[in-house]
Amino acid sequence: MRYVLHSMKMLWKSATQYRSSLVMQIIAQLIMTAGDLLAVLVLMDRFLHIGRWQPAEVLFFFGVMQLTFAMTECFNRGLGSFEGMIGSGAFDSVLLRPRGLLLQVICSQLDPRRFGSFLVGGAAVALASRTLGLRWTAAKALLFGETILGSLMLLMGLFLIEATMCFFSVRSIEMVNALTYGGRSTCQYPIDIYPKPLRLLFLYVAPIALCMHLPVSVILDRPMFAVPGWCVWAAPLTGLLFFLLMVRAWYFGVRHYRSTGS
Amino acid sequence: MAFIEAQNLSRSFVRYSAAKDGGLTRLWRRERTTIEALSGATFSVERGELVGLIGPNGAGKSTTVKLLTGILTPTDGTCVVDGRVPWQERREHVRHLGAVFGQRTQLWWDVPIRDSFELLRDMYSLEQGPWQKRLDMLVDALDLGELMRAPLRQLSLGQRMRAELCGSLLHEPALLFLDEPTIGLDAVSKLKLRAFLKEENARGTTILLTTHDMEDMLALCSRVMVLGHGKLLYDGQLDALLGRYDTVHILRAVYDGAPDPSRLSGLNCTRDGDAYIVTYEPEKQPTAEVLSQVLGAGAVREMTLKEQNVDELIARMYQEMAL
Repeated sequence: MRYVLHSMKMLWKSATQYRSSLVMQIIAQLIMTAGDLLAVLVLMDRFLHIGRWQPAEVLFFFGVMQLTFAMTECFNRGLGSFEGMIGSGAFDSVLLRPRGLLLQVICSQLDPRRFGSFLVGGAAVALASRTLGLRWTAAKALLFGETILGSLMLLMGLFLIEATMCFFSVRSIEMVNALTYGGRSTCQYPIDIYPKPLRLLFLYVAPIALCMHLPVSVILDRPMFAVPGWCVWAAPLTGLLFFLLMVRAWYFGVRHYRSTGS
Repeated sequence: MAFIEAQNLSRSFVRYSAAKDGGLTRLWRRERTTIEALSGATFSVERGELVGLIGPNGAGKSTTVKLLTGILTPTDGTCVVDGRVPWQERREHVRHLGAVFGQRTQLWWDVPIRDSFELLRDMYSLEQGPWQKRLDMLVDALDLGELMRAPLRQLSLGQRMRAELCGSLLHEPALLFLDEPTIGLDAVSKLKLRAFLKEENARGTTILLTTHDMEDMLALCSRVMVLGHGKLLYDGQLDALLGRYDTVHILRAVYDGAPDPSRLSGLNCTRDGDAYIVTYEPEKQPTAEVLSQVLGAGAVREMTLKEQNVDELIARMYQEMAL
């Protein structure tokens, strides 16, 4: 743990070596995500509802996705540049340290720029929750936290697929991007407005909707599927499960690591 | 059991490339080639030895080091380092291992090197007290005192190498891997670095050194392993290896006017601009004999005589081993 905290401190120090650049990038991220938010707000203004959802509810879904994705991208920078890490031989150094490999890769780079998107996501959730007059209970808050964490794990798991492929020099990253970035675009709206193939994809294959939308719909008091209460609590755990599976796959890939020339 | 014990250690790589011929089928047809980066290397190293690994580029030096450090998994054979199999007990293995890979940094680029050393303290879970003592000792020996606040990216090559060495020795590893540690260093830095490595070795650290710098070899290693085409070709004393080759002397002479070519016949003579270069082996041809021939051929204005250097010797050795 001391190592993790220390790594973060180091990254912060590195990042603040180029202070103005960091501030500019946070602002740029903020503006970009705020643009997305505006697009949703404009849509909401034109239409009274999407499917069975009112505008503010859709805004809530959007906010949750932005929050989660901002966090994912913050922690995912190391994994996201994993191909470069392998190409430059930097992964050799990781293998030479007496710490967990994945932990080191994740701690090697963080992306504080995503703080901008994180703020916009938080603002969207707060705004939606006020407009709807949502009554927050302790149970709802807990479920909300679990959902965010579970979805974070799930998205990290999806990015791990990409990283695992790097070991086998398979360049099918576009396919995986369809699930990660495609998932973000798709699942920022409630899944039940989509046709069946998309629904199946994000409920069962890359279960972003299962992990995120099912509990969120319950928090909004408008359950998506008629499922027993424990299912709602169990849904975000699929994210954790998916993550653990992908970690296994990644470590399997490490066995096939070929390193680079000297 | 020896400190490092390698049995039939082998690693091959499979490389795929697009098929050479064919049109559309090139989309899915691939050609498969297997490259033996290292095959059947068997050797052992005792604790406290300083061993040099030499061989031309692509001989399998890096692969050997990567197998011993646990970066790569072998395709065949085994090796045990200090009772542990590197790729199976990676964490415990690397805890007792230090490595400096010449052109690749292991410290953090943008932060003062002192911060890097502090992070290493936490990474290896070292106690503050002993860590500080060790750091002071290394900073002193490597002359890093004034650089501790500078970020790595601002250091010169020699300074960086010293910082890297300090970082790799903080946790007092039993085994140290060095890959081209003196590459790009000036003469003074080289000498200092060699002296430091000798001291570190005398303290009981086992060192494995890969280098192309023969001066390093001569100064540091008594034992060398020569690799070529992925095979271990020689393992033994450096002196014995060099003794296998007759010492060749090189005589360089410049004449006033043209020398008499008939007087130079029978000598292994080549032209280099104005100069005539004669190479000979004193054991077969006494120097006096060669000299009288060279002097008799014309009016010599300038003349130098020297032994063939180690680089040339090694190049000859590689040639004879068909590398």
